[in-house]
Amino acid sequence: MNKREYNRIQETLYYERMDNGLDVYVLPKPGFQKTYATFSTRYGSIDNHFKVEGEEPVQVPDGIAHFLEHKMFEEPEGDVFTSFAQQGASANAFTTFDRTVYLFSATDQIEKNITTLIDFVQNPYFSVESVEKEKGIIEQEINMYRDNADWRTYFGLIEAMYQRYPIYIDIAGTVESIQEITRDTLLQCYHTFYHPSNMMLFIVGGVEPEQIFELVRSNQAAKSFPKQGEIERYFDEEPLQVRTARKVTTLPVSMPKCLFGCKEDRPGLEGKALLEHELATRIMLDLMLGSSTKLSQTLYEEGLTSDNIGYEYNCDTNAAFTIIGGETKDPDELIKRVKEAIEVQKKEGFSHEAFERTRNKRIGTYMRLLNSPESIANDFTKHTFRGTDLFDILDVYEHLTLEQINQRLQDHFKWEQLAVSIVEQKTEQ
Amino acid sequence: MKVRQQAFERGVVNGIRIHVMPSKRFKTFAIGAYIGVPLKEETVTAVGLTPFVLRRGTTSLPETIQFRERLDELYGAGFGFDVYKRGDYQIVQFRMDIINDAFVNTTKPLLEQGFQFLGEAITAPVVEQDKFRDKYVQEEKETVRKRLEAIVNDKIRYAQERCVEEMCKDEPYRLHPLGSRDEVKKVESKSLYDTYKWWLEQASIDIYVIGDTDLPTVQSYVEKYFQVQRTQDVAYIRSLSVPQTGEPRYVTDRLDVTQGKLNMGLRTTITYHDDKYPAALLYNGVLGSYPHSKLFINVREKNSLAYYASSRFDGHKGICTIQSGVEFDKIEKASTIIQEQLEVMRQGRIESLELSQTKAMIANQLREIDDSAFEMISFDFNRVLSGRERTTSSLIEELGDVTADEIQTAAATFHLDTIYVLRNREEKK
Repeated sequence: MNKREYNRIQETLYYERMDNGLDVYVLPKPGFQKTYATFSTRYGSIDNHFKVEGEEPVQVPDGIAHFLEHKMFEEPEGDVFTSFAQQGASANAFTTFDRTVYLFSATDQIEKNITTLIDFVQNPYFSVESVEKEKGIIEQEINMYRDNADWRTYFGLIEAMYQRYPIYIDIAGTVESIQEITRDTLLQCYHTFYHPSNMMLFIVGGVEPEQIFELVRSNQAAKSFPKQGEIERYFDEEPLQVRTARKVTTLPVSMPKCLFGCKEDRPGLEGKALLEHELATRIMLDLMLGSSTKLSQTLYEEGLTSDNIGYEYNCDTNAAFTIIGGETKDPDELIKRVKEAIEVQKKEGFSHEAFERTRNKRIGTYMRLLNSPESIANDFTKHTFRGTDLFDILDVYEHLTLEQINQRLQDHFKWEQLAVSIVEQKTEQ
Repeated sequence: MKVRQQAFERGVVNGIRIHVMPSKRFKTFAIGAYIGVPLKEETVTAVGLTPFVLRRGTTSLPETIQFRERLDELYGAGFGFDVYKRGDYQIVQFRMDIINDAFVNTTKPLLEQGFQFLGEAITAPVVEQDKFRDKYVQEEKETVRKRLEAIVNDKIRYAQERCVEEMCKDEPYRLHPLGSRDEVKKVESKSLYDTYKWWLEQASIDIYVIGDTDLPTVQSYVEKYFQVQRTQDVAYIRSLSVPQTGEPRYVTDRLDVTQGKLNMGLRTTITYHDDKYPAALLYNGVLGSYPHSKLFINVREKNSLAYYASSRFDGHKGICTIQSGVEFDKIEKASTIIQEQLEVMRQGRIESLELSQTKAMIANQLREIDDSAFEMISFDFNRVLSGRERTTSSLIEELGDVTADEIQTAAATFHLDTIYVLRNREEKK
């Protein structure tokens, strides 16, 4: 058991790698009633073309990681929700581009619940019939999202940006693609990506670390996993250009929704360098578009945005892009105004005073996040799979310089790499 | 590890009830201010608009940019508000989340700075010639109008709100917490300012703080920074429930949607104040709040008709709502299945496993409340609203004693009132 102390934020993290390769982390939160645990695999919707060392490459149907997540809850004795419910735990799961996370939160019978969590995820059990039956449920999930204007705008932008890198593929797949999914393909994906060496367990709450490690050690020692080679994931090379500069979707909405952003070249960065890149960009976006900026306020006052303009930055080693915008009566005018303001700012750069204020704001926001066990577990997992460390954030913020922020402003906004996604009402003929 | 149940210390300053829970468990101070008035057609729109105008500036920070920058300076303090219905009251809730001084270097206590900010935001707005600043009122009217129009964008919420609106068409509860578009148009700076002054004098006001502080400190801040003329604290009066009479009413709306929505509204005479409240809470839990509940099992798992099918209980109004997303041609089938489950509840066909699972799940949710400052605040506010003294642990105790027979007795008070369906537009051939 290794212990990492983070004095500045008053947190201590315990870590151990099990003999089978499973990474286990425990973050005690003294005084907390609740324990929140996530069991995650480095496997998401983008992992649709891969090869395990010594085996043939495989291409799988879109939406299979998410489908597998649904089916994992089935156990020989019935639905695993039943066991969790009996033990007073609320359980759930979600699939993203690059990971699948199973989780519970509970205030009681923690060890029992941890065992249930590990055991059900490490025991794939599903019948041919139940796989067919699940298609109806997932079809309704896909249709629910089709009617969701925010999701369509958001995902539409990623579809507009990316041509080859599979984040443009909807996490749930399509009504057609899920028809191709069978029990066998599910099992193949399971055995590839649910090997302990591709997984991580994170437990946060009012727990004693050594007890937890002992529990997990003996649980894992009682199971055997075949030795697995490296997983190689294939991603076609992504061109710099966006797929479509402007994507328009028709849905009944009261006012157009418009998101736009710039796609960057593959960052190729890892570890602390990637984190620095990400946080510098975040501060740059705050300085450019944050709710206390002149730009955000002017757009709002002129009625071009219905609320402060939204923005986010997503990046990993292979992809990086911004998502900016919201509801607007005039998408083109909104984009034009933001572009103009950014060009002016590129000439002037940001002031020291604004930079310091924004840095403080970011630090405060980060500290507030640490109040929430859910946020800690989810963000820590996301960072770790990406090769960065959630607990480096304070240090990185404190060492960023204004020059780095100004540089990000120059480098990020390249208008030839801009894509736009609009959801609007059908125009009456 | 168990901790003793922490308690609120309570006092009154200028007719404002103060509730403080000293705690060192969080990295922040959580502040909540609840301002409630009876829900009325004549005032609902103006009251709903008020917090939007208040967030634009104060006498000491009259420009919105200054107001926002101040929050950045307070280490990115969280500041927000929400307007909602609780029983037949319209509640405006402000919340502030500000980091504990221990993590940063400041001279004046951050909690005091937070109170100064919040106190001025609520009680010292920008006033020109005895009215709100016209520009702010005009812009915020526009924002609220857009919000009211945007309800249709989220079909899940739209169906829910339409169902309640139809169900309560003869009661104040039909009103949207932000009022109506037509009324928003009519609001003027002067009339709004007059309503605001009335609101501040007549409303029930409660201020909560959880963090590393105490009652006398908070009282002194309220005295110093909340400039109000109030003589006494105003208690909430419980509304009487409206019993359902006759057969359920059917309502159908049509929009361009991919997925149909089926919602139902039930009435009960049981509210939070009642001794039977725990039984009603269990009724809702067994029926539809969890993945082990009857609705999820029968609509989703057994028949693959929906991705979501759940129920929700509003204990202040005495309304239980059911919601699901279903294919158009399966709405009838889903409706039949849901009504069968309501009948099963009336017949008291509740297995002991279902009951123990539901009790464990609710107890867990209640215990988890103690890990979040804002959730502890919301829970305690139920006490203020209903006049019923309950803590999370006393409610857990009450729940533990409820029998299946008592749930059946409670079930007899739930009557199906409205069945609401959202469908696609008929195909034009």
